[in-house]
Amino acid sequence: MKLSYPVVLVVLLAFASVTACSNKSDKMRFSSWVSSPVETELFKEVLTSFEKENPDFQYDFEPIPGNYSEKLQLMLGTNTAPDVFFLKGMLAPSYMSFNILNPLDELMAGEADFDQEDFFPELLRAFQKDGVQYGLPKDCSPYVLFYNKKQFREAGVDSMPTTWAELESAARQLTKDTDGDGKTDQFGLVIEPVMEMIMPFVYQNGGNFQNPDGSLGIADEPFIEAVEYYYGLYEKGVATIPTDAGQGWNGDTFGRGKAAMALSGGWLLPFLKENHPDLEYGVLPLPAGKQKATIAFTTALAMPKRTQYEADGWKLVSHLTGKEGMKQWTSQGLAFPSRKSVAVENGFYEDPVFSVFMESMEFARPFQVEYSERGFEEAVVALQAIFYTNKEPRQAMKDIAKRIAKYKLTR
Amino acid sequence: MSVFKSKRWEQARTAYLFIGFPVILFSIFTFIPIIFAFVISFFDWNLLIPDKVFIGLGNYIELFNDEVFLIAIKNTALYTVIVVPVQTILSLFLAFIMNQKLRGRTFFRTAFYIPAITSSVVTSIIFLWIYSKPGLLNYLLSLVGIEGTDWLTNPNTALFSIMALTIWSTSGYFMITFLAGLQNIPKSVYEAAAIDGASTWTQFWKITVPMVRPVTFFVVVLGLIGCFQVFDQIYVMSGGGPVNATTTMSYFVYNNSFKFFRLGYGAAGAIVLAIIIFIATWLQKKYFPSNPYQ
Repeated sequence: MKLSYPVVLVVLLAFASVTACSNKSDKMRFSSWVSSPVETELFKEVLTSFEKENPDFQYDFEPIPGNYSEKLQLMLGTNTAPDVFFLKGMLAPSYMSFNILNPLDELMAGEADFDQEDFFPELLRAFQKDGVQYGLPKDCSPYVLFYNKKQFREAGVDSMPTTWAELESAARQLTKDTDGDGKTDQFGLVIEPVMEMIMPFVYQNGGNFQNPDGSLGIADEPFIEAVEYYYGLYEKGVATIPTDAGQGWNGDTFGRGKAAMALSGGWLLPFLKENHPDLEYGVLPLPAGKQKATIAFTTALAMPKRTQYEADGWKLVSHLTGKEGMKQWTSQGLAFPSRKSVAVENGFYEDPVFSVFMESMEFARPFQVEYSERGFEEAVVALQAIFYTNKEPRQAMKDIAKRIAKYKLTR
Repeated sequence: MSVFKSKRWEQARTAYLFIGFPVILFSIFTFIPIIFAFVISFFDWNLLIPDKVFIGLGNYIELFNDEVFLIAIKNTALYTVIVVPVQTILSLFLAFIMNQKLRGRTFFRTAFYIPAITSSVVTSIIFLWIYSKPGLLNYLLSLVGIEGTDWLTNPNTALFSIMALTIWSTSGYFMITFLAGLQNIPKSVYEAAAIDGASTWTQFWKITVPMVRPVTFFVVVLGLIGCFQVFDQIYVMSGGGPVNATTTMSYFVYNNSFKFFRLGYGAAGAIVLAIIIFIATWLQKKYFPSNPYQ
């Protein structure tokens, strides 16, 4: 008896600590993912000034360092989700179809000077389902064409490419074997076998991943032509992919001067500034096909349906997506404002680099499909088959279309 | 008598309390989840949708019509069939050498064991560089005039590259296990064989191999289970690609459960994997027992 008493205590304590991890917080919680240190620092500054304006506002900021989407999903499914969180535009259709987000229309209507009309309409639409707004875009970034000024001069390319044909001929002119060993050391363009990077070409060619009537568009002629053109650049040896040079992503390949052009969003700007400060580069709107088009990446702030802190959550959301908060967040050009007036106020339309991004927003669309992520993954497999096993683009897209069709979101 | 009895009862109670804690832990983190996974594998269980629909064997039927799952089974089987024998033989061979009186033996033992204690994510990232197109492996190949490929984006080489990494990192670990087994073999047996004129090679085949059989059994069982569950190297190095060439069963389960929202479907995949592992272990125990002379 004497011996077992402490043992009982230990067991009970251990049991209690295992089972009773109550996660109930008496404050509103806010989660973001963790990106570069520069961005994190800036975001903290934005939050600090929000706190100064609202000294009584109580909340916990809980950034999620890795596997953001997976963790957020688990939290949403187990009712432990933060009351405000970042939502990637690409995931919005499935989250909205599962009906787990809090509608924001009434909250917006209650705010007289929120000025909804100010947002780029395509970005707002990315977080709408059946006319209901479920998230508000805090920023955006369209794909533009980065080019290496020095390599352009050396190759004698003096007119900037504005069409598919010009892009290809410029890339050919820029492709060089600089050390004469028979291998190309400098490519015209760096591309990646990923859907996001092909989509601008698809849009430019009048195609779509998912047609407006909901059907799958990836085996349609405009889509296949775009893939053929895109892969053709690689096949003809005027474009490279990052893994061929042992690099992780196209920004790295471009920064090292292994490719004279790259498609990228605004995240390449701080990367180049930090890692390749001497690189002389410029940006151009993407060359157009049948029409001007590019894709825009966007992140919204959203709230879960079951939030207990709707009013507090909205206060934070409306600050971060409001004119003042967005101005502070986008002032350095790490991300671009999703509100036109903020871009004007930041002077982005006068800046030689930023203006290209802002003007591209006029014809940019977010890439979203009403297919589960499994369907999207299948499409990526088709691209890998094209790039890594030399499968005919036409055949690859036709084969995969049959498989993807069944992953359509039904709700 | 009664004093003795109550004492015994007291001891038993203490013992149960000691066992109780790990049992509770195991139940919460292992047994209950296994049962739960089994149950939800019969449901269309999407974490984000409140209504969970009972669909009977629906998930299992879909699994066996799912091209990617069939590829995953094939990849996992191929991976196991190659990695288990190679790593077992290699680690036994290494252990045999390390058991000889060799100069710098401690150094070699340490060197071979280091990969085993290094985090698999770290070794995966190192091999990511080694296997890249301008990486170390291709550089070495270029010295002998061979032009290498991009090992991890080539569907024909990706899985084999990951196998090689696994073999490299686990052989050292199992070498230690075998070493322990080798040191249990009485020296007199070898001495007797030496007097009879047996060569080192004969000694290895006729004495070492049969005498370490219980250890071999242990190594093969652990190897089998580890191979069937291979995940981290795949997750870090190839993400199941290119063209599903490295999609294994556990990677498939992870993707479907945590990326594609389909916990029921993923659970069904996990149950199939568990059944395969169970059958493989049972077959091994039946046909290759650890001690055939019993």
